[in-house]
Amino acid sequence: MSQRNVKIEAKVGLHARPAALFVQIAAKADFDVTVAKPGGEPVNAKSILAVLGLDARHGEEVVIRAEGEGAEELLDKLEALLKQPEPESA
Amino acid sequence: MTRVLSPVAGQVVGLAGVPDPVFAQAMVGPGTAVDPERAPGQAIAPVTGTIVKLHPHAFVVVDDEGHGVLVHLGVDTVQLKGEGFELLAAEGDAVEAGQPVVGWNPAAIEAGGRSPVCAVVALDAPADALSDVKESGAVEKGAELYTWR
Repeated sequence: MSQRNVKIEAKVGLHARPAALFVQIAAKADFDVTVAKPGGEPVNAKSILAVLGLDARHGEEVVIRAEGEGAEELLDKLEALLKQPEPESA
Repeated sequence: MTRVLSPVAGQVVGLAGVPDPVFAQAMVGPGTAVDPERAPGQAIAPVTGTIVKLHPHAFVVVDDEGHGVLVHLGVDTVQLKGEGFELLAAEGDAVEAGQPVVGWNPAAIEAGGRSPVCAVVALDAPADALSDVKESGAVEKGAELYTWR
């Protein structure tokens, strides 16, 4: 299991474009990927419904987890996305 | 099967008519969009279900099939931080399709330099799950925009 705690730098939080890009990246994995608030229930990072429902705001921390071949690389990409104030593309 | 109703009255412009590439390129999901009448109004629930997320400028209703529909009122309206929007329901509420959820004034949104175009998106739906998607023409509030298998 690979895990990262990442502070959301996206100005709009994990909504709109950042959320859509986040789910697009996660959905490419053939293993489970989750995102959670610290101490909270992990939700499916491949589901835009679940990610929007998480309602993670700018400046908040989220925990992203994945397990499988290429999990670290995938988490690298998700972390890089969350660290962009105004992400343009995945 | 879920019948998704128009939350507002106006002209259907399709997702491609939303001046925001996130919606126009269907990155959030498939669906359509409505350019609303420029008059104060109330956006209604597009399906019967539970309001799982309610922001002043956007809300998500999930029906008993697990289909979640996002209604996004205008473009970049998150920046308004709720100003000009009135919540008529609460997160977690069970709502009937057609029940008012958010009061707003599209003319005021436009006067503020933003597009009031309202995207109605099927979350987590493959594009081929939608049928009879209305892409143009006038629509009454509560009329069907698409069906979701």
